[in-house]
Amino acid sequence: MRLRIRFSKMGKVRFVGHRDVARIVERALRRCGVPITYSQGFSPRARMSFGLALPTCYESEAEYLDVPLDPDSIVDGQIACTGWGQGKLHNPQQMQAALSEALPTGFDVVALTVEPKGGRSLQETVVSCGWKFDILGAVTQEVEEAIERALASSEIETERKKKNELVRENIRYGVYDLRMDGESERGPIVVAELSAKPRVIRPSELVDVLAPGAEMGIARRTHQWIEHDGQRQEPLMLSKSLQLKEYS
Amino acid sequence: MEKPARYIGCEDGASTDIYKPDATSWLLTYPDTYEIGLPNQGLQILYELLNERHDAFAERSYAPWTDMEAQMRSNDLPLFSVDTHRPAAEFDILAFNLSAELVYTNVLNCIDLAGLAVRASERHDGDPLIGAGGHCAYNPEPLADFIDFFVMGDGEEVIAEITTTVGEWRKSGKPSGSRENVLRALGQIAGVYVPSMYEATYDGAKLTGVQPKHPDVPTSVQKRTVADLADWPYPRNQLVPLTEVVHDRLNVEIFRGCTRGCRFCQAGMITRPVRERPASQVREMISKGLERTGYDEVSLTSLSTADFSNIEEVVTDTIEEPGTCGRVSVALPSLRVDAFTVGVAAQVSRARRTGLTFAPEAGSWRMRQIINKLITEEDLYEAVRSAYSQGWHRMKLYFLTGLPSEMDEDTLAIADLAENCVAIGQQYTKKASVTVSLGGFVPKPHTPFQWFGQNEPAELRRKVDLLRERLRRNKRVHLKWHSPEATTAEGITSRGDRRIGPVIEHVWRQGGTFQEWSEHFDLRLWEEAMSASELDIEWYVDRHRDENEVLPWDHIHAGLHKDFLWQDWQDALAGFGLEDCRWTPCYDCGACTEYGIEHVVASPVPPNGGSQGTGQDLTTGHVVPVDLRPRAAVRGT
Repeated sequence: MRLRIRFSKMGKVRFVGHRDVARIVERALRRCGVPITYSQGFSPRARMSFGLALPTCYESEAEYLDVPLDPDSIVDGQIACTGWGQGKLHNPQQMQAALSEALPTGFDVVALTVEPKGGRSLQETVVSCGWKFDILGAVTQEVEEAIERALASSEIETERKKKNELVRENIRYGVYDLRMDGESERGPIVVAELSAKPRVIRPSELVDVLAPGAEMGIARRTHQWIEHDGQRQEPLMLSKSLQLKEYS
Repeated sequence: MEKPARYIGCEDGASTDIYKPDATSWLLTYPDTYEIGLPNQGLQILYELLNERHDAFAERSYAPWTDMEAQMRSNDLPLFSVDTHRPAAEFDILAFNLSAELVYTNVLNCIDLAGLAVRASERHDGDPLIGAGGHCAYNPEPLADFIDFFVMGDGEEVIAEITTTVGEWRKSGKPSGSRENVLRALGQIAGVYVPSMYEATYDGAKLTGVQPKHPDVPTSVQKRTVADLADWPYPRNQLVPLTEVVHDRLNVEIFRGCTRGCRFCQAGMITRPVRERPASQVREMISKGLERTGYDEVSLTSLSTADFSNIEEVVTDTIEEPGTCGRVSVALPSLRVDAFTVGVAAQVSRARRTGLTFAPEAGSWRMRQIINKLITEEDLYEAVRSAYSQGWHRMKLYFLTGLPSEMDEDTLAIADLAENCVAIGQQYTKKASVTVSLGGFVPKPHTPFQWFGQNEPAELRRKVDLLRERLRRNKRVHLKWHSPEATTAEGITSRGDRRIGPVIEHVWRQGGTFQEWSEHFDLRLWEEAMSASELDIEWYVDRHRDENEVLPWDHIHAGLHKDFLWQDWQDALAGFGLEDCRWTPCYDCGACTEYGIEHVVASPVPPNGGSQGTGQDLTTGHVVPVDLRPRAAVRGT
């Protein structure tokens, strides 16, 4: 069995890198006494597998993580905690609350299930991501027009650095959705759904197309989508409408 | 920008909503990167103690890395706290932790980034007071031009008095002329040194003294010592950083002070006497700390961890703590080889193995007698055997070179030791290897070696090369060495007087920050600065001092009698060892008798037996017997 966890990363903690997030989560799992499993070898580590890595400086309301559990620890659908949680029997809701509490301010577990292990990994199955970002000081009208032009065209040409080499690429194939969503105090807000295969297209790549020369403000991942029986869905549906805590 | 998470705070254990409008505000600043500074226990203890007070609050800042500094300067952003991002200049006190000399230029850079004049004499009445403490404060003179007040010794108690004094100044509205008064008041607090209240006098190049300018300012400044660590179970809420830092684990201080008497070691001289934390409190701090933080590694910190009474039991209890599911690693830094037994090795290796570092410090027994690090080769080999037999493949051996009376055969003996260790390891594993880390010796104030002339960089380089050549073909001994050039800059600042102030300022003005970082260190900046001030590196660094020389830190007292240190220096040259006084009668170094305190040690005998914890009778038991010379118990003060 495993825990599948969906968590958010909001506010100042967006500056924490992916590897550091793994360390933070590992400490929280231990604090709660989650019956995790360990790798073998000279230096055993807690087993965890994350979904797609989130670029540093991006917020998210849809980070995913699978944590294999000690199979003996599941009793009638409840999780028998070990270590610092020894003696506690948590249902998924209680575990969700305990982990949220143990994580630093800015991280919250927004959904959690106990499910059988197996199947393809999160990293393999995520096909696209939803994003929301604002563009610093850009003019809303101009961004709106740029979006229209981009969607009408068969080419969205972007530039990015790859091993010190500037690569030009048409990413139109991976732009599934692109539209305005109001304005923040920093500038116009754009929402987008961008492909994760064969590579993850980042919102920052679109900024130069939508407002040449402008800088991206704060970007947030809102969804990671997988395909299941031909249906697009999220790895974990939110049990109730997501009430995200905002952190400054 | 690199690693932006180091500027956001948000650590578990950080005080939130700490702002108290009417309280004395401290900005505790570590003048190196966040990764180096965050784990500093001294800073964390003061942070917590200050935030528990109703009349004070504390936030933290660290030296911004060069990329961040460039951004801050081009956007007119001042130095800020990581807790709330408040500008540094809004605090009443900016307090620096000085744990190494090469951070001095960073101190100036931080003051400047705060928007303040770096020279104390040019700051305004309402500006924050700049304080400094930590081991390097024991020679405050090189920073005397820049720092308003220094604190000597343990900070736990004295921060209360400083808070009160500064609080009154704060309430007065800091009017014109008040800065002088508050500094004068601070100078009367025991343990506090206000350099502007003192004048340094010279006779040519020679320093003749540092005297108070006013009758109510003490002639000599005495350090502060907390008598019993049991009263201070701090930090209770160790900060858990969001980004990886050095020593990223639970750190529990198990004792303070060390009387092994290694003559090169400043920490072992200035932090006397030994004050053990009660084992029950250690256990509680470990359990509560691990549960609160979720760490799976705990470091038992001290200057010589294996000397803690019943260390093996504490390690065993930690590993058997049910909450850790048997998966906690115990790191034992500063491990004396004579106490690292198979038992300890076996306990420590039950979970994830931590890196192992042993510090024989010198290659030959003759040399170890001179530095009073009385461990025999057999002790080292036994420790190494214990480690390899319990599954370690490699370990690190730490040595100093450039020690008093060191000859090439002493230096080369380092290679012999290392090779013998590998040979022992190969009996257990094909992968056995040893890393030799070689540091250039810098004589430190308040030690018996304070009179010794440091080796010149060329000589240190020659010794490094000697070892490199000797070990060139041995693929299993990896040699790493500390830059001889950086050692020189450290020497300038370590035993410098007030005339070194302009040198530090010159290096800083030429962009010489982060001098502890090899990619930023530049000896030429220091050489230029010395010649710009018409000062001679040889005179400051390489010259032997004689008994009568006035030393720049003579007005600062760590309790140690100067004649005790001189006698110990003479004994060193004669190859006489000195016993550890925590288990033998007092020889009156001054650290206890001057302040009416004594050792707090649970066990009347060394945990591992024997006169020096070696389990051996060193007076007769070794081919080169050490002469442990008993000291006269009473000495004039």
